[in-house]
Amino acid sequence: MVTFIIRRLIGTVFILLLVAAITFAIFFLLPRLAGETAYGLATQYVGRNPTPAAVHQMEQTLGFNEPLYVQFGRYIKAIVAGEHYQGQWCGPPCLGYSFKNQQPVWPQMISDVPVTLSIAIGAAVLWLIGGVTIGVISALKRGTIFDRLSMSVALAGVSLPVFFTGLIALELFSYKWPIFPNVQYVAITQNPYLWAKNLVLPWIVLAFLYAALYARLTRAGMLETLNEDYIRTARAKGLRERTVIIKHALRAALTPIVTIFGLDLGLLLGGAILTEVTFSMHGLGLFTVEAINNQDFPEIMGVTLLAAFFIIIANLIVDILYSVLDPRVRY
Amino acid sequence: MAVPIDVATSPGGPEPEAPLPASTKAIEGRSLGQIAWMRLRRDKLAMAGGIIVLLLVLVAIFGPYFVQNPDTYNQQLINPIFSRPNGPWGGISLAHPLGVEPVTGRDMLARMVVGARYSLLIGFLATALAVVLGVVMGIIAGYSGGWVDSVIARAMDVFLAFPLLVFAIALVGVMPSSGFGLSGNGLRVAMLIFIIGFFAWPYMGRIIRGQTLSLREREFVDAARSIGARGPYILFRELLPNLWAPILVYATLLIPTNILFEAALDFLGVGIIPPTPSWGQSLSNAVTQGFYATDPMYMIIPGLAIFITVMAFNLFGDGLRDALDPKTR
Amino acid sequence: MMRRMRIGVTATCAAAVLVLAACSSSSSSSSSTTTTSGPSFNEGVTSVINPSTAKGGTITYDDSSVFDSTDPGNTYYAHVWNFSRLYATPLMTYTSTPGAGGNDLVPALATAPGVVSDNGLTWTYTIKPNVKFEDGTTVTSADVKYAVERTFDRTVLPNGPSYFQVLLGGNAATYPGPYKDRSKNIMGLTAITTPNPTTVVFHLAKPFADFDYVVAIPQTAPVPPDKDTGANYQLHPISTGPYEFQSYALNKQLTLVPNPNWNPADDPEASQLASKIVVNFNVNADDIDNRLLAGDIQMDIAGTGVQAAARARILSSPSLTKQADDPLSGFMWFFYINTKVAPLNNVACRRAIEYAANKITLQDAYGGSVGGDLASTAMPPTVIGYQSFDMYEALSKPNGDPTMAKQELTACGQPNGFTTGIAYRSDRPKEVAAATALQAALATVGIKTTLHGYPSGTYYSNFAGSPAYVHSHDLGIDIGGWAPDWPDGFGWFDEIANGNAIVPAGNTNIEELNDPVVNNYLAEMESASSTSALRAMLANEIDHQVMSDAVMLPIVYAKSLLYRSPALTNIYVQKYYGMYNYAVLGTS
Repeated sequence: MVTFIIRRLIGTVFILLLVAAITFAIFFLLPRLAGETAYGLATQYVGRNPTPAAVHQMEQTLGFNEPLYVQFGRYIKAIVAGEHYQGQWCGPPCLGYSFKNQQPVWPQMISDVPVTLSIAIGAAVLWLIGGVTIGVISALKRGTIFDRLSMSVALAGVSLPVFFTGLIALELFSYKWPIFPNVQYVAITQNPYLWAKNLVLPWIVLAFLYAALYARLTRAGMLETLNEDYIRTARAKGLRERTVIIKHALRAALTPIVTIFGLDLGLLLGGAILTEVTFSMHGLGLFTVEAINNQDFPEIMGVTLLAAFFIIIANLIVDILYSVLDPRVRY
Repeated sequence: MAVPIDVATSPGGPEPEAPLPASTKAIEGRSLGQIAWMRLRRDKLAMAGGIIVLLLVLVAIFGPYFVQNPDTYNQQLINPIFSRPNGPWGGISLAHPLGVEPVTGRDMLARMVVGARYSLLIGFLATALAVVLGVVMGIIAGYSGGWVDSVIARAMDVFLAFPLLVFAIALVGVMPSSGFGLSGNGLRVAMLIFIIGFFAWPYMGRIIRGQTLSLREREFVDAARSIGARGPYILFRELLPNLWAPILVYATLLIPTNILFEAALDFLGVGIIPPTPSWGQSLSNAVTQGFYATDPMYMIIPGLAIFITVMAFNLFGDGLRDALDPKTR
Repeated sequence: MMRRMRIGVTATCAAAVLVLAACSSSSSSSSSTTTTSGPSFNEGVTSVINPSTAKGGTITYDDSSVFDSTDPGNTYYAHVWNFSRLYATPLMTYTSTPGAGGNDLVPALATAPGVVSDNGLTWTYTIKPNVKFEDGTTVTSADVKYAVERTFDRTVLPNGPSYFQVLLGGNAATYPGPYKDRSKNIMGLTAITTPNPTTVVFHLAKPFADFDYVVAIPQTAPVPPDKDTGANYQLHPISTGPYEFQSYALNKQLTLVPNPNWNPADDPEASQLASKIVVNFNVNADDIDNRLLAGDIQMDIAGTGVQAAARARILSSPSLTKQADDPLSGFMWFFYINTKVAPLNNVACRRAIEYAANKITLQDAYGGSVGGDLASTAMPPTVIGYQSFDMYEALSKPNGDPTMAKQELTACGQPNGFTTGIAYRSDRPKEVAAATALQAALATVGIKTTLHGYPSGTYYSNFAGSPAYVHSHDLGIDIGGWAPDWPDGFGWFDEIANGNAIVPAGNTNIEELNDPVVNNYLAEMESASSTSALRAMLANEIDHQVMSDAVMLPIVYAKSLLYRSPALTNIYVQKYYGMYNYAVLGTS
């Protein structure tokens, strides 16, 4: 197991390099295929109506006229060893300076991480517990009103865009009935009560979107395992119904749940874009939106690498959990 | 069904059954497919779902010939200052059974019917692509283990981490106006199916891989191997039938996600070329531009369309899985 | 040159009477006279609402995005120029007043407008003595010179206008900026001289009659060289205005508090009333409207108006309508018609487009008469020298004139129409709607168009703003919007109609007009002998010439439906910005 983990961690470094190379290629290579020149690229970052001298200067400073592999090499070197830029020192991991506001990217991202973490983890706990519970009950009460109703509500959650449910939630619970007035992010170190209170709406809205998949998967998995022979045996042994359901039926159905939980949480940690935009919370998602709008390459790279890291680690943890949940699994 | 034996007639033991009349056909064994179809037929809800899906497909294919032009502006029917149609319920009238759009006055029914074509095409095919790719890769990875599993699982990681939004924006500049014998919206639809499906497969792949990792240690796999079954047989005849449940559940929920994702790509300039309608675009417009407050029907109608599609597919998928699964009662 | 304004939904009715009449469909009030209790609709455009000298309280602004920079030398957004008056005092500024006077220049840091000499090549400004920075040190002319010098390094401060680099003489063409050599005694830009601590002299390369407008840009707000931290200066600019930075979490929240070293006599156009000013960034645009109407915040800083949902709410409630203003924002929306993409190189083909377009559907794309007034000229009413004329029946036949269009088509040799492309920004729903509407209208006369949507981040740099791309992709019609850096004809037309302004990337003369008549008028406007009367007349002449060349298809003169928070005092619309004046607000 330990060698397995070490091998995977080494592999992580290579994956991150690959993702960085891909992002680099998308950003610099693709436009070249469309006829973009280094001069044209530099124009994007020199503001309105610059003099040609200013554009050339920017080309130079940002290194656009160097060959791509040189630019890429310099970028990777900065991450590992840090770099000097415009008279400042940027220590490892140095993810460069924003093209838009010339501030270092890494500190900006780090200050956004707690927000995304708060939103993602809180919602994840909610949709996991809520979704699985509804799924179990739906499986047990198959065909009843509860089953049909919960399925419809879950499907509605998937069919509606997140920004809509978020807006409606705000209009109803923040303005019409001021149960959650003035929703904005408050750091947990500042005021834990407000932190939690202001996050309730984003948590519920986000969980509403995901709960459907968890409920449906749990239900489907439970329906299968409930028909297995060993369930009949467990009941025949005289075990309490609750033990039968949770320890035996549910556990066997958990593999896909664990898989998608890792995927969903991993992806969300890279930025819950729609939720953060809707509730105006400054997390990695909002950061990503700004970066893309401004075509701000260092910020785009930084957030892509951080998101990739979360995804890879999440999948690694899930793979380890497989062997915990199902002792028959071996690698 | 047991043939009733008349025990009381003979003290010595049950009499042999009377032979059946000769006119009855010989009893044939039923194939799995026939059994599945019979069970499916009996599930009313699943049949309802299937019929709705079929209806949607028919509407998508033939509907556009029966509705008015979805691009005709009707300025006299809307109030541009309030961004809403005149008249209640989004301007419903005999001429416009589902009302009109808020800013342009275009007929909603026409836009929904023509939009069905694009949304369903993209929704279904992109999902199909993601599912097929995901299942194949997931099963191979989960069953083979070793370096094959490593490579495929790492590929999944890379696809999941792929900066899709940046890619889509960069694509705008290099997108050709014709290629592969297609052009205009045809080319766009093909590209959208490819992009959306191609980047959704790792999700399905991870689920299937996880399930396969569990399943491959099961007894029936050993049994199959012991009678000489080889890889592909085990993969697709033994393992796959046990994987229908998560496949169908996830595929059902992937359809509306893909329909809405197409709307997001429209926003970046990579999607369907206006004025061609699509459900996702109508719904997105309704929400992001605040029309849901001034003209709720503009949001409700495409939202309902998507919801009904999902529901129908879901019911049918549930029924299908129940019918195919040998274990479910 | 173009100031950028945050694009939001702009909406209003054309006049108070029309508003109340149109809105009476869902409300009972149809009075067209102002009520006697409290302010009325649009009153903020012409008079000061809630005048008061009371101090204290907190004003909270929300921004749906972020500032391009808080550094006064590094910004190009209209609302940031407006807001920066709270902590930066440039040499000249605009009179803080509602109504027409809001476009008039008045000295700020300077004692008087520039004294011109040397055949228009030298502009001398005297700055007020004893103006202090927030740390108590006195502002000298060297600080003004440094402020301008630092903007020359576009790798550090890329966002602001580049007028000084283009207009100044001396070594301006090659001066790299002070960051390449940071020794305090090196004052490298020879084009600005400071004979004594209260005099700044600008030496131009050629005469530029509008130079007073140029020094009204925040780039001339003084910066102390020893406190300049380059790209980090935006985190805490040293204030010469009524407020100073207390804290700034980049792109999250900004807090200003009163500057104790500010003397009100130094800048009568700004006030120090509120005891705290807070700006929240990246707030959801729809939520801003909700917060504004609920009273949680007092101002939407972008100043481009409320979104559609709030617009409907405001206009259907008489009490809310009274608290709204609908000024012309100074912006104009139009289509560029490129002169190099065949067959649009023939003026008759371009005129066909002008006649064929359905102006009503185009106006509706921007929100009806709510979003703007039908436009028939190439320059909006907010530009000095504007006179209304209607060359292509935009006002007399707003649904289009297919007959005349077909005549023009025959005249240009394409009686059955032609094909071309329409470029627009796909993430701006109004532009999507406008492009679609134009496509539908042109199709009725046989002009077939394909739509091409691009993301707004790269629209001007890579696509519409790249002549090579426009030619190779047949983008004959391209959507655009414009607002001038200063309100006269040169500020409006120079970058969008001057043949010398065509550049290979980031081009704003997208129609690639190179009409010697226009070029000469523009040059004449800035000659040494030019007067404001001459400039007004020439602006009108250029307007006629540009429309005659049919290189622009005007859509609307944009308007913004602004909500006026009742908690604010001294609130009115500043004509130059097209939004409320932030430098004078207080709260009750």
